[in-house]
Amino acid sequence: MIGKNRRKRSWIAAAVLAAGSLVFTSLPAAHAEVGVTSTQIKLGTTLPLTGSASPGYNKLGDAMKAYFNYVNDNGGVYGRKITLVIKNDEYLPNLAVAKTNELILKDKVFALVGALGTANHQAVANAVGLGRRGIPDLFINTGFSGFANPKQYPTTFTVLPSYAMEAKIMAQFIKENYAGKKLGLIYQDDEFGSDALKGFAQAGIKFDVTVPYASGSQSQTTAPTWISKLSAGGAEVVVMFGVTSASGLALATAGALKYTPKWILGSVGGDATTLRALGVPPAVLTGQIGLSPVPSPADTTDEYVKLFQEVNAKYNNNVAFDNNVLAGMNTAMLTVQALRAAGKNPTRKSLIAAMKTKGSTFVSSALVPLNYSATSNVGFNGYWFGQYDSTGVMKPLATGVVAYTTDSGTGPVVKSTFKRPAMPAKGLPTNS
Amino acid sequence: MKKTLSLVAISSLLSLTVVSIPTAARAADPVCQTAAGVTQCAGVTSDGAKYLMLVPANYKGTAMLYSHGYRYPVDLPAAIPIVGGYTVADAAEPVPGGSAAIYGPLLAQGVAVFGSGFARQGWNVDSALKTNVELIGIFNKRFPTTTKVVAWGNSLGGFITQALAEKYPNLISAAVPMCTAAGSIEAGLQMAGDFLWVFKTFFDPTIKGGNYSAGAAGYGEAMADLGKIFTAMGALQAAVSTGAWPSTSKVPDAIKAIPSRSALLLAGLIAGVPTQSPHFDGTTGPEGPLKTSFPLAVSPALAVLENGTNAAVLAILVTYDLELQSGGQVFDNSTTDYAERVAVSSYVYNAALSGVASINGLLSYLNPANPAAPRAKASAAAVAKMRALVSHTGKINVPTITFTGVADPVTPPGNSQWIADRYAEQYAAEWAAAKAGKRTTGAYQKPKNMLLTLWNPTPANYTTFTAAGAPITSTPSAQGTNHCNFTPAQYLALAKMALYASENGVHMSGGPLYTLLRKSGSMTYDPKFRAPLLKYYSPN
Repeated sequence: MIGKNRRKRSWIAAAVLAAGSLVFTSLPAAHAEVGVTSTQIKLGTTLPLTGSASPGYNKLGDAMKAYFNYVNDNGGVYGRKITLVIKNDEYLPNLAVAKTNELILKDKVFALVGALGTANHQAVANAVGLGRRGIPDLFINTGFSGFANPKQYPTTFTVLPSYAMEAKIMAQFIKENYAGKKLGLIYQDDEFGSDALKGFAQAGIKFDVTVPYASGSQSQTTAPTWISKLSAGGAEVVVMFGVTSASGLALATAGALKYTPKWILGSVGGDATTLRALGVPPAVLTGQIGLSPVPSPADTTDEYVKLFQEVNAKYNNNVAFDNNVLAGMNTAMLTVQALRAAGKNPTRKSLIAAMKTKGSTFVSSALVPLNYSATSNVGFNGYWFGQYDSTGVMKPLATGVVAYTTDSGTGPVVKSTFKRPAMPAKGLPTNS
Repeated sequence: MKKTLSLVAISSLLSLTVVSIPTAARAADPVCQTAAGVTQCAGVTSDGAKYLMLVPANYKGTAMLYSHGYRYPVDLPAAIPIVGGYTVADAAEPVPGGSAAIYGPLLAQGVAVFGSGFARQGWNVDSALKTNVELIGIFNKRFPTTTKVVAWGNSLGGFITQALAEKYPNLISAAVPMCTAAGSIEAGLQMAGDFLWVFKTFFDPTIKGGNYSAGAAGYGEAMADLGKIFTAMGALQAAVSTGAWPSTSKVPDAIKAIPSRSALLLAGLIAGVPTQSPHFDGTTGPEGPLKTSFPLAVSPALAVLENGTNAAVLAILVTYDLELQSGGQVFDNSTTDYAERVAVSSYVYNAALSGVASINGLLSYLNPANPAAPRAKASAAAVAKMRALVSHTGKINVPTITFTGVADPVTPPGNSQWIADRYAEQYAAEWAAAKAGKRTTGAYQKPKNMLLTLWNPTPANYTTFTAAGAPITSTPSAQGTNHCNFTPAQYLALAKMALYASENGVHMSGGPLYTLLRKSGSMTYDPKFRAPLLKYYSPN
């Protein structure tokens, strides 16, 4: 009897500990898991809605929300509607920490989905302690290979291929198509760019001219110095490995200065709609090379793109449909499958377990496979290359859509044999 | 900024002026007078520490013993900016800052307060412990209805409080180390010394920073260092926009191509100085083109500038103090890997550090192989003597509450985290022992939680700007920043929690705790929050 009473006290004490954040709000209704009620699953994300890195990426949140609302109108996830709380982190690490704390302690979200930015997420993972708190941190939009360490980031799952993978695949493309040309590289001089440098080095590519820029330093003042350096160095093929705002400045400035190399735009900064909105003339973008793990947003023959465009029209004010909208909806579709796989009464633990055991089976628009497993928290592992046409659409090369895959280490770059599964009826996952 | 820089001195020097202190006093024999329902007793302990006791007429038997924070151990010449003109102060401090807003409500509740000014200033844990033990005896003798003593203290006083709880748990029933230093003086010295060494290496190699000469010459060297610190800090502040280096810097031009603010930030990150300060949040920029780039690239450096000046002044004076006590150089960075120190933070602050190439360039200048950046080598004998000073085990013997600002630049939250970590080990061992005991008794008692770790968080946004876009630094320090930047309401909440724990042997919990925290403002209880440890304990 004594033991029983003491166990009860222990349980009460544990409950009190778990409710530590109640200093911010009143007591929540009792439920098995934070952020999950009988009618709702509350998710959260932090994104740069404003600020220097916001162009394009500020569309991700609304795109996710639109797809969730589409699912909600079609029964939700086992009857629960998904709510997404979006916070603006302005691409600032300290603000990302503060906003993520708000999501966890004040909004009491069940999980985080689709957050963006390497430095931001490093700050969040360390300062907020997502792993320590056991909070699922799904489909983050960064390819920093450091996040692939499940021991250090046990609850974090990337959606993008690593930047090292991207660089290795770019290197293969350069070798096959631009051998002997003088090569230039603009890269963000942080872990984003460092990862890329490792990948290029791994692939044996050496650049004749390199232009690092510190994150946030891209401006009308700095861009001309980049272009001058590339031009003076005689770079004939330039790889752009930066955020979209930096890509836009580079291309627009190159156009203005009549510098006309062949550009290969990295996936992070290659969204044509955003680039054109940033002032890149169509003539400058036309014929340049891009790469992506997902289909072109203009490819209406693709069933996923078609569905997402319909969702965009009905649930997202029919905003300009671009890579970012597509990526946001794709992430939302993956999220729905993860929630379903976590069971009818999902917990944070069951959600993480579902990612590890079933994540690789989730369907999406991507033309390359997912790689989640007990030992891998990395999502996609490859890209296909295309060429921008005069309308900004990235069209397949003459060889058609050929996807390449690789790893972040010493593995080879290979042509993918991945066969994308058919989209579930109406784009509504039914997995379990 | 002036207001911030002088905070350490101000918080240390505030003395109780509301009550008069009798002048005729001798050891263990307080002189008392009663007025307005409060008995005030003043005296001097056998080691010469002035003390003051305030006991209300409705005294209920519980008294709170306060230990004040670090006071500079030497007079500071008036010519030194901001802190100059200080003379060593030994006034008794029975509550934080001698504040009537704190002792008034406590006395009204029937709680007595007392405390001393300690017999010596500077790092004084060994002598302060003796003073406190004697003082408790004096108090109990003078007020024999006393049943419980709650110990609390700020900063160094927090260290003294924890040491008292570890060594003399029978004398107190609860402890509240606030904005506390913890572990050993070496941890704090390492932080201060690293900042000072990197600072001088980058910005003024004529700063001595330690290994001061004996006697008056050493005092003169330390005072000269203070002046040089202020000069270099002023130059850095003036060059935040341009990135120019102080004229006293001797780094090569290739390094000077990197903005000086990035070098300053690196010094802060290496040492563990917080990147949020009283007026710089790292999240807010002025309206216009600097809206994002200011908080991303400039604000963290300005925060280190604001925090680091306090830290550097304290570093010089603590180093000077410890060298006097230990008889030689005590700071040693001869084997420190400064790249390891920023292995994680350089990711997060990459933009403010001006990118990977700049980070690597700055770190290469700090490399031990660089003859322009000679490392400090401590005297083994002096270090041994320093290590003989009282340090903590982290053992929690009585209900204990810690409370720390998450961006405290002098005693960063890693100090409280160190105590929390030690207690987590203690608790796990106690629980394991209890479970093991079940095998023989058939039942077990889960250990009581004896440590309540509370934090003083920063607001998400608090930097403000003039219409012209210049940051405003004349406003009060934001919560969670600055050293021991607590409100009377927070002190009283801590007292209430400590008195509850003292009375009941367990901590306040559940609704009453959360309600009290919420009403007191900027106090959180989040068991999953983890502050970074001091670099001495966890390099990265």
